[in-house]
Amino acid sequence: MKKMLPESELARDERFVRSKIEDRIFDPRGPKLATRNTGPAMMATDRPAAAERSRSLMHGIFVGEIQALEGAGRTCFDFDDDEAPFQLKLDMARQCWDESRHCEISIKLGDHLGTEIGEYTESTFLYAAACNPDPVMRLTGVNRALEGLAIDVFNTMREFGKESTDPVLEFCEDWMLADEVTHVKMGSDWLRRLTEKDPERRERALEFQRTVDKIFNLGGFRGEQEENPVQLARRFRELAGFTDEENDSLSKLAAESTEEARQMSELLAGNN
Amino acid sequence: MSDAFKARAPFAPWDRRELPGLFSVEDTARRVGNYKWTEMRLFEVLGGWVATVPELDVKLVLGRHTYHHAWHAELWHKRLPELREMNQERMTVPANDAFVAFMDSVRDPEAPELTIEKLVGVYRVLIPRLIAVYTYHLNGTSTITDAPTIRSLKFALQDEFDDWRDGEMLLQSLIDTPEKVDRAARRQQELEKLYIRSGGIAGPGSLGETAEEQGAA
Ligand SMILES: [Fe+2]
Ligand SMILES: [Fe+2]
Repeated sequence: MKKMLPESELARDERFVRSKIEDRIFDPRGPKLATRNTGPAMMATDRPAAAERSRSLMHGIFVGEIQALEGAGRTCFDFDDDEAPFQLKLDMARQCWDESRHCEISIKLGDHLGTEIGEYTESTFLYAAACNPDPVMRLTGVNRALEGLAIDVFNTMREFGKESTDPVLEFCEDWMLADEVTHVKMGSDWLRRLTEKDPERRERALEFQRTVDKIFNLGGFRGEQEENPVQLARRFRELAGFTDEENDSLSKLAAESTEEARQMSELLAGNN
Repeated sequence: MSDAFKARAPFAPWDRRELPGLFSVEDTARRVGNYKWTEMRLFEVLGGWVATVPELDVKLVLGRHTYHHAWHAELWHKRLPELREMNQERMTVPANDAFVAFMDSVRDPEAPELTIEKLVGVYRVLIPRLIAVYTYHLNGTSTITDAPTIRSLKFALQDEFDDWRDGEMLLQSLIDTPEKVDRAARRQQELEKLYIRSGGIAGPGSLGETAEEQGAA
C-alpha cells in the first residue's frame, strides 16, 4: 500500500454522495435562501429551522468523524519510524479508537434526530488537512485546527441538547467533547515537543493551522455572533491548551469570514 | 504468642508456580523486541487501511483494533528496559528478512475491492499466529521470575482472541459466494507459505520447534 492517500481515494459505500466545498459555497440557490427569513443561524430551539439544522449538522459531524478516523489512521501508516516518534503514533492509534466510537455515536444520534447516512452530501476538506506530508504540519492542522473545530461543534450541540431538553444528545455530545479536548491537547503537546529547537518550523506549522482554521470558519459557519451556527467554545479550548491570544485571534478571523460571507451573499442577491 | 505470628508456608498449598522457565533474560528481550516490531507493523497497517475500505462496519472495527495493537506494542516497549535492554530501538526488529517479506505481503493490499484480502491476512493468518506464539511463551516461561511478561501476554492475548473473533465474523459475512471462498483460501495459502519460510514471528523456534529438536525427532 502506498504512503499518502489522496482525498479522492477515500473509500465509501454507495450511500455516500461527495460534494465539493466550493460547489456548496457557490450554490446558486444560496442567495435566494439567504433572503428567506429563517432567523439567525445560531443553533437554538426557537429558530424556525432548528430541527433541520440539527439533522444536517449531525450528518456533517458523522462524515467529519469518519474523516478524522481516516486521518488519524493514515498518520499511523504514512510515516516511517524516523519521521514520526513511536509515542506520536501511539497517540494517533488511540485517536483512531476514539474517532471510531464517535462515528458509532453520531450514526446512532443521526437515527435519534431523524436523519440517515447519505441524506446530505459529504465534502472531504477535513481529511485534506490530514494529507500534509510533514508530520508536524499534519498534527497541527488536524489536532489543533480540525479537532478544535470539533470542540466548538460538540459544545454547540451539547448546549442545543440542553436547551431542547434532549438528554441523549446532551449526554453523548458531552462524552465526545471530552475526547476532542484530549485530541487537541495531544496536538498542542506534540507541536511543542517536535518544534522545541526549531522555532521556524513551529511558525510554519502555526501558519498552516491558521490557513486550515480559516477554511473551517466556512463563510460564517463558526464564530461568536448570532449569525454563526457553531459557537467558539473558549472554555474547552483553554483546557485543550489554546491560549487567550490564540482564541482571540481565531475569533477575529471568524468575524472576518462572517463579514466576507455577508458581503458575498448581498452581492449575489443583487445579481439575481 | 498470637496466631498472627505463627509460621506459614511462603507459598500457599494452591500456589503451584515454579522457578524453571524456557527463556533466559536475553531470549525474552529478543522475543519481546520481535513482538513489538510485529505489533507496530500491524497497528500501522490497520490504521492505514481504514481510509481504503468502503464497508462502514469494517472501517469502524479496524479503527478500534488499531489501538489494541498499538497498546500491545507499548506494553512490549515498556518491558524491554526491564530486560536490560536500555536501547529499545536496537531490539525493535523483525526476526529475519523472510518475516519482513511476510509482513510486507500482509500489508500490501490497498484497493477498495480487496477487503477480503486485507482481512484474511490479518485475521486468518497473522493474528492466529500471534495467539500461538504468545501462548507458547506464556506456557513456557518461568511463572515466578518472568511474571511481568506473563501479565502483558495475558492482556495481549485477551485482545487477540476478541479481535480474531471480530475479524473472522466480518470475513464470514463478506465471503458469500464460492468465488470469494476461493479468493480467501488463495490469499491464506500464499501468506502461510511466506510465513513458514520465516520460521515465525520470533523466527525459527517461535513455537519451540528448533532446528536441532526437529533433527533429533
Ligand atoms: Fe471525533
Ligand atoms: Fe477527535
